[in-house]
Amino acid sequence: MTQAFNKLSRTICGVVLAASIGALTTAPAHAEKDVWPILREQAFGDRPITEEDGTVVLETPQKVEDAAIVPITVRIPPHVKDKVKSLSIFIDKNPDPKVATLTFGPAAGSGGERSFATRVRVDNFSHARAVLELEDGSLHMATKFLSAAGGCAAMQAKDPDADTAGMGKTIVRTFPPALSSNPIWSGQVMIKHPNHNGMQLDINTAKFIPARYVKEVTVERDGELVFKLDSTFSISTNPNFRFTFAKGDNNELDVSVVDTDGEKFNGSSKPQGGS
Amino acid sequence: MSDVPHKHPAWPETSRSCGWGVHALSRRNVVLAGLAIASAPLLRYLPAHAAVEDVTEVAPGVFVHQGRYEVQSEANGGDIANASFVVGSEAVAVIDTSGSAKLGAELRNTIRAVTDKPIKYVINTHMHPDHVFGNAAFKQDNPEFVGHYKLARALGTRKESYLVANEQMIGAEAFAGSEIILPTLGIKEPTKLDLGDRELLLEPQPTAHTDNDLIVTDLKTNTLFLGDLLFSVHVPTIDGSIKGWLGVLDEMGQRKAARVVPGHGPKTMKLPEALEPEQRYLSAIADDVRRQIAEGKTLQQATKSAGFSEKDAWKLFDQYHVRNVTAAYAELEWE
Repeated sequence: MTQAFNKLSRTICGVVLAASIGALTTAPAHAEKDVWPILREQAFGDRPITEEDGTVVLETPQKVEDAAIVPITVRIPPHVKDKVKSLSIFIDKNPDPKVATLTFGPAAGSGGERSFATRVRVDNFSHARAVLELEDGSLHMATKFLSAAGGCAAMQAKDPDADTAGMGKTIVRTFPPALSSNPIWSGQVMIKHPNHNGMQLDINTAKFIPARYVKEVTVERDGELVFKLDSTFSISTNPNFRFTFAKGDNNELDVSVVDTDGEKFNGSSKPQGGS
Repeated sequence: MSDVPHKHPAWPETSRSCGWGVHALSRRNVVLAGLAIASAPLLRYLPAHAAVEDVTEVAPGVFVHQGRYEVQSEANGGDIANASFVVGSEAVAVIDTSGSAKLGAELRNTIRAVTDKPIKYVINTHMHPDHVFGNAAFKQDNPEFVGHYKLARALGTRKESYLVANEQMIGAEAFAGSEIILPTLGIKEPTKLDLGDRELLLEPQPTAHTDNDLIVTDLKTNTLFLGDLLFSVHVPTIDGSIKGWLGVLDEMGQRKAARVVPGHGPKTMKLPEALEPEQRYLSAIADDVRRQIAEGKTLQQATKSAGFSEKDAWKLFDQYHVRNVTAAYAELEWE
């Protein structure tokens, strides 16, 4: 029994990785193979991607300190004037390499520095990528190497009981810019959710704790779409997003969240405080 | 032997190492052994990173090995945490087993040099690899493996990464034979274990350093084994809850004890002053992080400044501090 448990546990990472790319390749689970060509084709087909041209900047920590909470920031520098269509974030070697995809709406804004920041889980030494799609359909990529080797279990919660308590609580904040003339404001969404990755064994039942994570976050400003975010369990426990949006009349943010169980959570914010 | 109050260490290292008419090795004795080896090289084997054989009797029947203030490496073989054992008239209890099966075996040899009483309990103060990977060496004794009732879950879910990471850090040879052994006895309420004419009190704690911290008290000598609820010299590491930890430290400061044994630090320390540096460190992080959250600062910004006033007060600050701030921020932003 214990032996079987050992083996089971040791193969989890490999199995899930293989499963996630299995449809496209027969690569062995622990191959050092570069999975990016596969991911790229899956997401963008044969569309050209311009790399490191300064349209998009990816900021990651020099050294990953806690593989379960790795802060990453994507910046679109102010010299980029185009409207943005979508942003995709990948971590090649994660069990689910697709971290998040944002589809931007009319309230995403332009005319200043735009950014998106979140915290991700990093399963292995891996490239992280941000691919930005501009309004003209052109694709631009920034890549960073993450030196973190957490193993699947690095994704474990520090206090699973506390993390499950109060699930769904959604806090939204609005941060007006320092200069009132700035057309770009920023906001934050915090969602209390364990973001179970489905790879964690419940040792009492010897079964996996089912995957359950936030899969969709929609942010509107004064009723207009800022972005719709599709996410995976590569986002850390208690998903946290900082983003920018176009200044509006009231600058009220409404956020709706859906998790993989279909449960919905909501939050909102007015400029003078949290919800 | 009476328990005379001393400045710590409570039991001077120059005292006779042991009252049991046997051969536990104090640091001084190890030095002597080293000299003996120099003149008679075949006398006995001491591994290069010796060694968990170096234990001190800090109170009658209470033995502590002090780990190094280092991160696990090939050079130290995983010998970075304190490991202890307590000898009763009928049985022995081990409290933390160091970071590999090899070190566990050394600890077991040391126990066997002190007493031939059965090793009935192997207690882990919490889940971390440097405290549990020596457990494997005690399987032959068929003891109860004892821990906080949440220890089993914590180890079960981290097993894979602990095995891989620790083998990488200390090397396959030094790590050989190490395995995760789940507790056979989970402690949910304060519980006493009888070693024969002495009892150990086991008290599970709310989430603090981890979510499975256990305080062990040898009631006979009023020695508290705090595991990693207490760090000294080695910077504390937060893998549970900074708020919970500060709360546990407040409670601990009210306690009276003849001595406490930290998870990382000298073999023994005194309450309440032993707690002060750690309280100061955790409070500095909590205060700075709370202020920065209130100012709308991001996690990334906080990791560059919060708690840096403590930089020179600790060893291994650069290795663990940013991680601590990250954990504190992720917790405190939900207050």
